[in-house]
Amino acid sequence: MSSVVEISLWQLMLGLVFILIAQVASFVYHLGLNRDITVGTIRTFAQLFLMGYALTFIFQLNSVWFTLGIFAVMAVSASFIIRGRVKEKQVPYMVPTFATMFISYFVTALFVSGLIIGVSPWWEPRYFLPIGGMVIGNSMSALAIALERLFREMRQQKGQIEMKLCLGANYKEASSEMFKNAVSAGMIPSINAMMGVGLVFIPGMMSGQILAGADPLQAIRYQIVIMLMLVGSTATTSIVSILIVRKRCFGKGEELLLSIGDKVDQ
Amino acid sequence: MHPLLKIESLCFTYTTPAAPVFRELNLSVDEGELVLIKGGSGTGKSTLLRLVCRLLPYQEGRILFRGRSIESVVPAELRRAIVYVAQIPSMTEASVRDNLLLPFSFAVNHDMVQPSEKKLEQMLEQFYLTDVALNHQARNMSVGQQQRIALMRALLLDPEILLLDEPTSALDEKSSSMIFSIIERLSAKEGKTILMVTHSNFTPQDVSPRSYVLENRKLRKV
Repeated sequence: MSSVVEISLWQLMLGLVFILIAQVASFVYHLGLNRDITVGTIRTFAQLFLMGYALTFIFQLNSVWFTLGIFAVMAVSASFIIRGRVKEKQVPYMVPTFATMFISYFVTALFVSGLIIGVSPWWEPRYFLPIGGMVIGNSMSALAIALERLFREMRQQKGQIEMKLCLGANYKEASSEMFKNAVSAGMIPSINAMMGVGLVFIPGMMSGQILAGADPLQAIRYQIVIMLMLVGSTATTSIVSILIVRKRCFGKGEELLLSIGDKVDQ
Repeated sequence: MHPLLKIESLCFTYTTPAAPVFRELNLSVDEGELVLIKGGSGTGKSTLLRLVCRLLPYQEGRILFRGRSIESVVPAELRRAIVYVAQIPSMTEASVRDNLLLPFSFAVNHDMVQPSEKKLEQMLEQFYLTDVALNHQARNMSVGQQQRIALMRALLLDPEILLLDEPTSALDEKSSSMIFSIIERLSAKEGKTILMVTHSNFTPQDVSPRSYVLENRKLRKV
């Protein structure tokens, strides 16, 4: 195995050439993206440097509580990002979403780092946090897609849902289509990723390991575990969250609480 | 003996906009009665029917079905006994047959016997739908035809009360008179209990309905 070729600071700065190309393109074609590119570049440097120092500190500290604390912060941030993406005011979905995310991501990360990779202790931050981060990042997008789809379809299909309720359907029967569509919409990207991996793209984690000098045959094993883990975690978080949130879309009399805009039929 | 349906001192306010729709509204419907409710747009006629089948929760007062508060009945069971047919008929993307049999796929209706093809065809005739085949796509039908299919679908559950929400509002004169003659037959010949809100001038010959006007947040007998 070869050792890592280090990137010095000035070599890192050389990478800014790519940003310069993007800035020139934006300027020449009046894309109006110069400010965003600048802010994005500064944030990339700042956030990743900060993370690098933070991870170094966490790895040295090697504390279970600190590791779990960081994991919780990641999960809370993910649920706030979801809130920003899913604009829903009538149904409170944040608490069940966060609870499902936290439990499901924790179990998944624990299973992968403690059982499949077999790290000892199971919370070894060098393994637990990157794996947890990958689960949270991917499942967060899946969950946002699923929730957004559920609320949109429930509103669009309000007439159908109420028609079924009026003929004796319970809330689950009346909304079974919307439930299925929402969960599949959340799961499809991670299933598609399994189809394209290795053919269409080399995943970031595997590329990173190979660049860092790992044996490609070991790197693919890690990647396979990660891909399987992502399918499992998106499935569990989407299904459990959507089950809970769907219930919250109905009132005590199993009436649909979502209204279309502010207008109500009289 | 309890009336089949009793509404007592009902108050209801929408949260947005916060304007009271009903104040101290009372109504009693006996078995086999045909009750008509008229009133201008926005007076809350549809809201009243939606409250009776719990598509909306009310804030004050009581709604009793056979002497029991509707809030103490399992929602699916209540809605199989009190069936609401909406103003705009809603069909699934399937055949007329599948739409008519849809309610039988719901758990609460599993104890009911599914009607035979022959019975469905006979009903289509009774509902002036002789040009409609059971395998036709329901969504391709005209609104008038869909309204009659919706009514048929509700009746297949043999409900104790039928709530009809302006069943002729979107129909031409011919379709409207077909619907009205069906309603008249259901009431006069089959003794169905019907609570109907309507804009139209419905004057049946074989049955004398009890009529009300909804105004100033209350019902006034006419």
